[in-house]
Amino acid sequence: MPLSLNYLTKRIVWIFLVIIGVVVFSYTAIIISPGDPAVKWAGNPRGPNASLAIELARKELGLDKPPLIQVLKFVADVFTGNIGLSIAYKIPVFEVILRRLVATLELLLISYLIAIPLGVFLGIESALHRNGKLDTFLQSLGTVLANTPTFWVGAWLFLTLILLGAYPYGRVDPKIATATGFHPITGFYLIDALVEGNLIVFVNILSKIISPAIAIAIYPIGVLVRLTRALVSDALLEDYIRASVAWGVSRSVIIWRYALKAITPGLVQVIGLAFSYSLVDAMAVEYVVFGREGLGSLLIDSLNYGDFRLAVGLIIIVAVFYLLVNTLTDIIQALIDPKVRL
Amino acid sequence: MSVFAKNFLIEEISEIVFEFSDEDRVFLTSLSLLSSSGESILLSLHTQLKQVYLFFRSSREEIFKSSVITSCGDIGVRRSVFLVVSIFLVVLIATGFIAYYHVWGPQTIKQRVVVYAYNDRITGIDPSVEDDTGLVIIGLVYEQLLHYNPLTKELKPALAVAWNSSEDGTEWVFRLREGVVFHDGTLLNATAVKLSIERARDVYRETGRGAGYIWDAVTDIEVLDEYTVKIKLEYPQRLDLLVAAAYAAYIFSPKALLSSGASSYLDKKLEEWFNGGNEAGTGPYTIEYYRPDSEVRLRKFDKWWGWSLVNNSQAPDYVIIKILPDPQSQYNGLISGEIDIASSVPRDYVSLLLSKGFRTYNLTTYHNYLMFFNVRRYPTNITGFRKAIACSLNLDEAVRLAMKGFALKGSGIIPHGFPGFTEGLYYQCGLSEARQYLNESGVQTPVRIEILYQVDYEETRIFAEALQSRLRDLNIELVLNPQPWSQLKEIAKGVWENPENTPHLVVAEWWPTIPSPYDYLYTMFHSDSKEWNYAGYENEEFEDFIDRAWELEGTNYSGALSLYREAQEILFNDVAGINLWDEVRPFIYNTRVELLPECMNPLYMYVIYFQYVRVGA
Repeated sequence: MPLSLNYLTKRIVWIFLVIIGVVVFSYTAIIISPGDPAVKWAGNPRGPNASLAIELARKELGLDKPPLIQVLKFVADVFTGNIGLSIAYKIPVFEVILRRLVATLELLLISYLIAIPLGVFLGIESALHRNGKLDTFLQSLGTVLANTPTFWVGAWLFLTLILLGAYPYGRVDPKIATATGFHPITGFYLIDALVEGNLIVFVNILSKIISPAIAIAIYPIGVLVRLTRALVSDALLEDYIRASVAWGVSRSVIIWRYALKAITPGLVQVIGLAFSYSLVDAMAVEYVVFGREGLGSLLIDSLNYGDFRLAVGLIIIVAVFYLLVNTLTDIIQALIDPKVRL
Repeated sequence: MSVFAKNFLIEEISEIVFEFSDEDRVFLTSLSLLSSSGESILLSLHTQLKQVYLFFRSSREEIFKSSVITSCGDIGVRRSVFLVVSIFLVVLIATGFIAYYHVWGPQTIKQRVVVYAYNDRITGIDPSVEDDTGLVIIGLVYEQLLHYNPLTKELKPALAVAWNSSEDGTEWVFRLREGVVFHDGTLLNATAVKLSIERARDVYRETGRGAGYIWDAVTDIEVLDEYTVKIKLEYPQRLDLLVAAAYAAYIFSPKALLSSGASSYLDKKLEEWFNGGNEAGTGPYTIEYYRPDSEVRLRKFDKWWGWSLVNNSQAPDYVIIKILPDPQSQYNGLISGEIDIASSVPRDYVSLLLSKGFRTYNLTTYHNYLMFFNVRRYPTNITGFRKAIACSLNLDEAVRLAMKGFALKGSGIIPHGFPGFTEGLYYQCGLSEARQYLNESGVQTPVRIEILYQVDYEETRIFAEALQSRLRDLNIELVLNPQPWSQLKEIAKGVWENPENTPHLVVAEWWPTIPSPYDYLYTMFHSDSKEWNYAGYENEEFEDFIDRAWELEGTNYSGALSLYREAQEILFNDVAGINLWDEVRPFIYNTRVELLPECMNPLYMYVIYFQYVRVGA
């Protein structure tokens, strides 16, 4: 077993420490910023008792307590899983975040379903044509893609599609979803549509997710083209590859079985890092450009509404997401690379 | 051949030959030692193996450069075929999906579904407590006893069919409509009315939340029989108007207590139950799917009592309220056909959309934008200085520039069409009069003042910049301070505690809860209303006028309206605040739907009464 109890314990402790750090930092930052969440929590009260409503709301939110007590109480609430209701929407914070997280994850997964095969394939092609014209072109392309701002690509894709008469806005056409009785269960709309056997909605969701997914995939494609090329180039000069060639092993087996297997640990590490990074890309693109619900719009909303519960909850989720992806990457690497022990 | 040479050759052979064993080494050594022919065999073996090895070495780089193994040319061909077939299959599957979608997609939409793009998140749907954007849902799911149209001054029966009051206006009796079914299947009765009104009132009394202050005068609600309710008031009021209020006047089923597990109607569980997407109304639509941040889906309630009266066989089966705060998105949605009605397209695009065949319903709303003067800080504490600023304003230009013409120039504080509106109460002066007022005020120029406005409203930014430009002519420097709404409110209400640190001018907006001028005048200019009186204005005469008018409404409505007009004149002369404009909201819709005048009512902001909307197939 490549995983040790020591590693897992360390990681869990680390996650706890990060959550505490994130809560303390973000809560403090939000609370000391201008604006009174109590006004929103009280529902922008009117009438002669408006001040009473705000006062009670402040007590209810615990904002009347000293900042240190507030922070400690919030940390305790986080670990008991009870952040409470969103100030803006009056529904449980984790319910809102989970729904949006699933939406963002669906987009990220589709992006990486595009990015990984394409990036790796192009990277291998580049390595196989080292120093040739195709290699030069693919390496230049990789550099450009890895450095192009995602929102810029997203905006261009969106505008182009709008000019072509398509409307890649939102997650699903509400009319079609309603008329076909689409009722999401998991929140992963593509899976839900497939489970329900609702092909019309499935195609509609696919048509809306594909453009933002391409926009987000741009960065990992660029990174993977360059990285795969470098890793495969090295792998092809290894003795066991040369021996395989000498023994007449077929080309496809050498590349896709031997070389790819050798570079997989390195690729997994980089994909893990890129995946975490792409979360930020997704948050920037999904709502601002494509009007999709997700973590991005939630962050904007929470700040606009002074919804500190939602904002802190969101920051915790993002931090934990980073840690989990990195941990998962380590575990996968340990499982596939016998040299790695955790 | 020397022994050293022989050993060297054997060593090289051992490196080239895979699995060269010690036995092989002994054999070759013995062979070379036995005879000269043995030496020749060793030499020949070494030469041939070395040639193969060198050939391999020299070819290796070439082999890798040309796709690893050029000898496997057949695999390259097979790869190309595989790629072409894969691409062909992907294209074929995609084409199949698209064809299926386009052929069968439209056919699946047999029901009448309307998508209404609304520009704000839903802040809650508790019928007794919510007093913000939730109205857009509540207005379709719940009903009041009466419905009021301020334009025609007409009160229409809703859940009540008859009503009357005592002569002194302190006792009101409402006769309820029989056979009205709540969405939970129970029947409307007087107890439900009593419970609904008492909850709104008591939540407000206990916590200050919601708009339950409209029931402030209610002392007792008596259930006379199953369908009759008597409401007793502490002082006379136009209760027939209050029961038609936009907020806190909705009737819900008492069964909601049971469903929510609440112990009493003041139990927080009930509010959480409502805000979780549950409802217990009698309205023409029920909530099927509630996502306050993105989408709310309403389904036609077939047992609604009003369908026979409305007689609209083309009313939508489903109404989707799509939350789209971005005007550009609403425009795109209209163009693509995914949205049928848009509440907030960019004003610049309205004529373009009309030229594309879309239609518009321009609703003159009671949503107005006001500019408050901080009357507690120098130099805006000087009336002459405030008059100078008022004269420098060009409201016609402001409406044209900031609202692209979609507004009516403000007159008095009360908006057009609302009870108490006063025509001609705006400053008819220009820059020359402004200079005169400025000189008389004694304020030395250059002087610097600050204006606070909401950062995400383009219209207020344009207005502030235009005002900045005009005040420059008076040698007044206007500093712009745009803030998000929550910050704006926090800063603006500081006028009472810390006026010196509160901006001199604040631009804010208002829309009413009840159809009374008191809603505007009390909330924004009464000294008891410190949460919303951003001017820090305090005038006993003004407060006496509006308080008397409020009490007079129940017995002498026209007399009350006169008092409200006089109160507005006081504000006008004191220049505590200026109503800049009353918004005209263009609701753009496509040819699939038809919006009749009954669909809109400015008192119930943004609610579209979909029972009157006709939807084409």
